[in-house]
Amino acid sequence: MCGVRTVVELDGVRVEYGELVAVRDLSLSVRDGELFCLLGPSGCGKTTTLRTIAGFESPDTGQVVLDGRTVTSLAPYARDCATVFQDWALFPNKTVIENVAFGQKMAGVGKAKRRDQARDHLDTVEMGDYEDTRPAELSGGQKQRIALARALAVDPDVLLLDEPLSNLDKRLRETMQLEIKDIQERLNTPMVYVTHDQEEAFTLADRIGVMNNGRLMQVGDPETVYDDPVDEFVESFLGNSNFLSGRVVGSGADRRDTARRAVTVEFPGVGAQIQIATESGLTPGDDLTASVRPEILELSPSPGETPTSPDGGTQEGTAERRADVEPDTTNRMALTGAVSDVVYRGSSIRYQVDIDTGEGAELSVERSVTRAPDLSTGDRVELSWDTAAVYYFGPDGARVRV
Amino acid sequence: MSDVDTAGGVRRVRSVLQAASGGISRTKLLLVPLLLFDLLVFVAPMGYLLRISLAERSVGGGALQRGTWSLDGYQYLSDSSVVTTVFTWTMLFAVVATLLAVGIGTLYAYAAWRASGATRTVLLAGVVMSMFTTLVVKVFAARVMLSPEGVVNDTLLAAGVLDSSLLLVNNEIGVLIGQLYVVLPYTVLAVYSVLTGLDESLVEAANDLGATPVRAVREVVLPHAVPGMAVGGVIAFAWSAGAFAAPLLLGSTSERTVAVEVQNLLSQFNYPAAAALAVVLTTVVLVVLTLGIVLLRRRGGLRDV
Repeated sequence: MCGVRTVVELDGVRVEYGELVAVRDLSLSVRDGELFCLLGPSGCGKTTTLRTIAGFESPDTGQVVLDGRTVTSLAPYARDCATVFQDWALFPNKTVIENVAFGQKMAGVGKAKRRDQARDHLDTVEMGDYEDTRPAELSGGQKQRIALARALAVDPDVLLLDEPLSNLDKRLRETMQLEIKDIQERLNTPMVYVTHDQEEAFTLADRIGVMNNGRLMQVGDPETVYDDPVDEFVESFLGNSNFLSGRVVGSGADRRDTARRAVTVEFPGVGAQIQIATESGLTPGDDLTASVRPEILELSPSPGETPTSPDGGTQEGTAERRADVEPDTTNRMALTGAVSDVVYRGSSIRYQVDIDTGEGAELSVERSVTRAPDLSTGDRVELSWDTAAVYYFGPDGARVRV
Repeated sequence: MSDVDTAGGVRRVRSVLQAASGGISRTKLLLVPLLLFDLLVFVAPMGYLLRISLAERSVGGGALQRGTWSLDGYQYLSDSSVVTTVFTWTMLFAVVATLLAVGIGTLYAYAAWRASGATRTVLLAGVVMSMFTTLVVKVFAARVMLSPEGVVNDTLLAAGVLDSSLLLVNNEIGVLIGQLYVVLPYTVLAVYSVLTGLDESLVEAANDLGATPVRAVREVVLPHAVPGMAVGGVIAFAWSAGAFAAPLLLGSTSERTVAVEVQNLLSQFNYPAAAALAVVLTTVVLVVLTLGIVLLRRRGGLRDV
């Protein structure tokens, strides 16, 4: 309609297996030339969604449109898409080149021609030397390449990849991710890529669709999805954030902005109380979760045994003063605690900090080795962050914008 | 304590065994009981049969003259036109029965493999349960079913499909149906067992790449099923070439198989000829099976076997 063609269109798709609803009312569209990642935990319905596009599952309601053609009731062989399976599904009794040429053989292309084409596709995945090898003699990474070449060889409207790299080791997986990205950019074949690995999704995707419990929670480019999560699930699945659960204890009109209400939230786990201004109608008693990402946390050795307010900031009148909480005028929150664990992770170090409230709240901070503070277990530290950089989620998990 | 003793004992026995076997590895030693068993149940009886086939026929009472050597048994076979006819018919019958058994058995096994849950259980149970009864009862049941006043004819007549009853017994159709009834379970199970090793995602991959269900079967399922079909075919052929119960109970005198003729010769106390016929049949079956396997292997179908 507006320049970019849509190659896959799902409209209100619902897939049920008996009692279980695998996919509920899912609508999405994949644009021509893009790599679209369906990201979610196992069992969230992402593979079922992919299988619905391929035609292996027929939706109970809704429509599947491929390249402008409604294919909802068509069999897989009548659809112009190709799948790269999780276990690759190479034909064991056929050689590599016969595997790659299979799609063209089914399409009735002559033997010499389809072999030439298959050779080109083998070169694309750098497997030209393995024409007459049988799949059983190949390594996992090589099988992966053949599966990719076999799917590309039918020149599909859209290439569907079902966790294609999950059976490979980490190093090979990272190499293959870049290669798939490279091939995708070169051939400009639209791809729908299913994965449970958020790093993989961020590496590959032009756009990401985050799924949970059969629903598509959010769709957007990686930056948007990461910087502006709409839902607590998206936030928890995309990063290793610290979640603090709190409760609304008071609300009143905001003096400066009448559309908003000033809400006071107490976080018993860290013994802190904050005020936020929001348009959402939170009322006292509502649960509110704050997500404090490791990257916004300042971690420094505690200046002394007694917590002090570094710049002598004034207290907000409504915020109840606690021994180790320092919300000040610049909206920084500071907590003190003790390092409970230091985990060395090669290029980075992760610190677990026990907050001094006796409620057992723990925050984790990760620092690259080069700028990691010299701390060991038991050291007293101060953690602070800008309260404006915190994400808040309401009782139903939806984002509370402040 | 006792553990240590046992371990010590085992070590001692092992060293004794190793010393006794000299250069022979322990793995080969494990084959000895199997070889002895083979010798006892196959090689010795076949050798004895071969010996009888080369003995002279007894003229006054008794089946054969012990300790004599003669080719009379084989001479009798080549002279008798009855034996030649019976032999040809048996081979033809075995080939047709084998082809039908492998064809139907593969279809049945594929259906059972594709089916799920209760349907699969029913299909497989049907096959296995038919193996619970003895051959004679099975073939007799077939006779009851197929005879002119049997269930099949009654049903077809009542339904108006037929005007007069079909002759399904005392002819080659009856023998064939009876024999299939006997060998089909084995071909079905042989093919089904290899199909269970076939990854269903391969069929999906074929469909995904544009193969219709029929083409997917031809390209993916059949090549995978070939070893099972070969095993099923071997069983069906060997069993049909030696068919006895089905031709006896469902055939007439013109559907006489080699096994029936052997029995016939034995009843005439012509032991050397009976043994010679048995030896020839066994040899022909072995040669045909060897040829079949060699051909399959050359074609590449048995690569995985």
